[in-house]
Amino acid sequence: MPRPAERLRAPLLLAVWLTVLAVLALFALRQLEVSTDLRSFMPAPQTPEQQLLMDQIGEGPGSRLLLVAISGAPQASLADLSRGLAARLADDAHFVQVINGAFDPAQLDPALLPYRYLLSTTLDTHRLDASYLHAQLLQRVEELASPAGVLLKPLLARDPTLETLAIAERWAPPKAPMTRDGVWFSARGEALLLAQTRAAGFDPEAQTAAIGALEAAFHALPGAGEARLTLSGPGYFTARVSATTRSQAQRLGMASTLGFAVLLLLAYRSLPALLVAALPVASGALAGVGALALVWGSAHGITLAFGFTLLGVAQEYPIRLLSHRRAGEAAVASARALWPLLATAIASAAIAYLAFLASGVVGLQQLAVFTIAGLLVAGLATRYLLPHVLPARFHDVAELAWLGRAVARLDRLPRPRWLPWLLLALGLAVLWRAPTPLWQDDLAALTPVPRALLQEDARLRGELGAPDVRYLLVLRAPDANGVLALSQILEPAGAALVKAGALDAIEWPSRYLPSIALQRERQAKLPDRATLAVALADAERGLPFRDGLFAPFLDDVAAARELPPLTPAEFMKSPLGTRLASMLVPADGGWIGLATLSGVHDAAALGALTDASQGRARVLDLKAASESLVVAYRERILRALGGALVLLALTVVVALRSPRRAWHVLAPMLLATLLVLVVERAAGLSLSLFHLVALTLAAGLGLHYALFFERPVADAAEARRTLHATLVCVVSALLVFGLQALSTLPVLRAIGLTVALGVSFHFCLSILMARPRGGER
Amino acid sequence: MALPSSGAAPESALAAPDPAALVASLAQSPPARTRFTEVRFSGLLDRPLILSGELEYLGPGQLAKHVASPWQETIRVEAGEAVIQRGDKPPRRVALAQVPELEGFLRGFSALLGGDAPALARDFELAVQGSAANWQLHLKPRDARLARRISAIEVDGRGSTARCFQTRDADDDLGILLVADLATIDLPTRPSSRRLQALCRGLVAP
Repeated sequence: MPRPAERLRAPLLLAVWLTVLAVLALFALRQLEVSTDLRSFMPAPQTPEQQLLMDQIGEGPGSRLLLVAISGAPQASLADLSRGLAARLADDAHFVQVINGAFDPAQLDPALLPYRYLLSTTLDTHRLDASYLHAQLLQRVEELASPAGVLLKPLLARDPTLETLAIAERWAPPKAPMTRDGVWFSARGEALLLAQTRAAGFDPEAQTAAIGALEAAFHALPGAGEARLTLSGPGYFTARVSATTRSQAQRLGMASTLGFAVLLLLAYRSLPALLVAALPVASGALAGVGALALVWGSAHGITLAFGFTLLGVAQEYPIRLLSHRRAGEAAVASARALWPLLATAIASAAIAYLAFLASGVVGLQQLAVFTIAGLLVAGLATRYLLPHVLPARFHDVAELAWLGRAVARLDRLPRPRWLPWLLLALGLAVLWRAPTPLWQDDLAALTPVPRALLQEDARLRGELGAPDVRYLLVLRAPDANGVLALSQILEPAGAALVKAGALDAIEWPSRYLPSIALQRERQAKLPDRATLAVALADAERGLPFRDGLFAPFLDDVAAARELPPLTPAEFMKSPLGTRLASMLVPADGGWIGLATLSGVHDAAALGALTDASQGRARVLDLKAASESLVVAYRERILRALGGALVLLALTVVVALRSPRRAWHVLAPMLLATLLVLVVERAAGLSLSLFHLVALTLAAGLGLHYALFFERPVADAAEARRTLHATLVCVVSALLVFGLQALSTLPVLRAIGLTVALGVSFHFCLSILMARPRGGER
Repeated sequence: MALPSSGAAPESALAAPDPAALVASLAQSPPARTRFTEVRFSGLLDRPLILSGELEYLGPGQLAKHVASPWQETIRVEAGEAVIQRGDKPPRRVALAQVPELEGFLRGFSALLGGDAPALARDFELAVQGSAANWQLHLKPRDARLARRISAIEVDGRGSTARCFQTRDADDDLGILLVADLATIDLPTRPSSRRLQALCRGLVAP
């Protein structure tokens, strides 16, 4: 009978352990910033395209556009809703700009008004002489007599040539939808808006927040009840896909956790044992997160997801301990007996992951630190903490009768030595002949957007003339003004491409602000006050305008002659400059301009723009660039895995002190990994990063199976315990990952299928190849 | 506000008519056409603009104005859109909702021609002065956006015929649209607004 002090030790230890975990969790939550920006996951860029992609990923103006359609109400109410939504979002920090086709002259900054002569293209083709002014004033008389006259009257004295309206027209999107009730409408009668988010298009959390703000603003509008809000665009897809993935992963996670718990209850018939058995993995995970928080302070969501996946190996440690407990022996003693082999498994995995540290990719280094810290802590917790808090009462699984029969049956299984070689040959043949491409580098293909949404997006994009999200024209110059000048030079070549049908429209930065040189050129064409006054008097002859009416016009032109040209920096500060600000970005010493392209039909023809600019403008294919980054990432992973394999083999040889025994452990692991590839390739699957991570996890599990089966055992009871532990591990892994394999999401299916297949093959081949033969025992 | 002409049967020709009944009596059955002369006085101009041509009422919300002199112009209003065709230039389209002031004005005009008193009363406060033989219908915009541009409209007429539409802009500019028998009267090159208003109200003979 233990003394009271000893009886208290277990609960006390448990309390301390849980407290430490809670503190660690708190620290990790506070310190670790989980980034969802793809940039922190990718390797360092090598090509200029990749560099641009890293700068611009999700930041290209096109990918930050949300397409908005409002339907389900009469046209007039839809137009009101469109105006209401635009007004509400105008002050929302999530959005740079919201446009719905309505033009509000009040948007024009009064201080910028004299600049209209430098911004408008009028002076490129006309002069403010008597004949031009007369023709303009004649038109104004006619307009004044029309019902629209009430609207023009306030502008007339200051702006008789209506430059403000000319500028508003030039700033309207190149291919705007039709206007009904003053705002954009689709052919189907939906009110249309474009909302540019401040956040990157591929940042799910920021996009989710922006979309939430947009939806809340919409539903708060009077009359929004009956109407329906439809959203589309890269940001919306990002948010949607991330939400679906998360909810499916959570649902599957819950189902598999439940199944896992039931399985462990069946296997060990003890609820307390089940609960405390979860602690080593929890400790490992928190240690991993804590290590990341300490070393980097932030990690990418995908890195964390990969890390948690790889840490699945650690669930084996407590299972091994539970299965290997011997009747009449304290848990501490069982742990001590088990430790050499378990330590070998843990150390070899941890050493193998060291290879990732040398990969040069922060994401992979983080993965290594997370996994190594996690495995070590989970292993040490299993050895030194778990035995002390396990309930004293348990069933020795060696007493299970069916287990004895199963071991006997396994011993009698025929194990032809040629079988692995035959499998290897067949597998290589299948791999050689597989019909589909080996790699799937389009990460988006793993989290696909539902087809209906893509069709809706294409329709809205067409109606709105919204820019393409795949192609972007990148202009480079030493400064922002240089970008504008380059943009101006290229405008004619772009217009020719549009005319030839290579694309629908190009939105040039110079559409919003001419270069300083062009502004000066226009300025030089403005007549001086006296000349203009004479021309105006001439122009007014025979027209009914009151004397002196156009004095503000004379003032403005005189002011415009003296203005310092509007610099990009200054213009971008004004509310109207936000659009330009999203198109001009400083980059490594110079500036880049992003001209968005709409409706690209012939991407190859766009090379003409590169030629016309002597290489200072190039078309960026965001998809190709991101895929090349994934290829780079994958190559780093493969190299790291190769290194890991070498380290693993060395560790196992050293630990087992026998190359022959190491071969028995490693051969089934390698062959099983190969067979997973064979099955997946034969089924026509292309491999992605996620497959590679899943293969690594499966190999880690397989290493355990082989190590434990290969271990020479003292008695038949221990053989039964080994089989029991392995069976629990295999069945639980099959349960968890088999469920994931049923998911509709390719990314979850890729991981689930690969691990489930891997576990099965590793188990079968370990039995076939790792267990000592009867004669050898 | 005009008082309802209750129990004043003998003097009914002298009492101010009920606005609703008056508006209803003005109903035109589409398509209806009438010639017009429009005189527009503006603070921007040193002499009034005089236009003439034909107005068309094609049903609720559908109006057309054909200017024949001193230039050629057609403005059509239908389906919430104004299409302006000037000379042989390509037509310009303006969505009326984009210009709520214009929309309210034209809606009122259409309701007036359709004799739709309830619709008119939704957009304007109505009041009638004068007698059935010589009445003035005053319209005051209810919508603030419209009121910012147009302060009042006065329709003058006799019996069931409207002869004058006077539109006073918020900046005190005045447009006088003469129709029916007044559409074809001779005007001096610089008519005075006082004289035209007196003409509309039947205070002087054409």
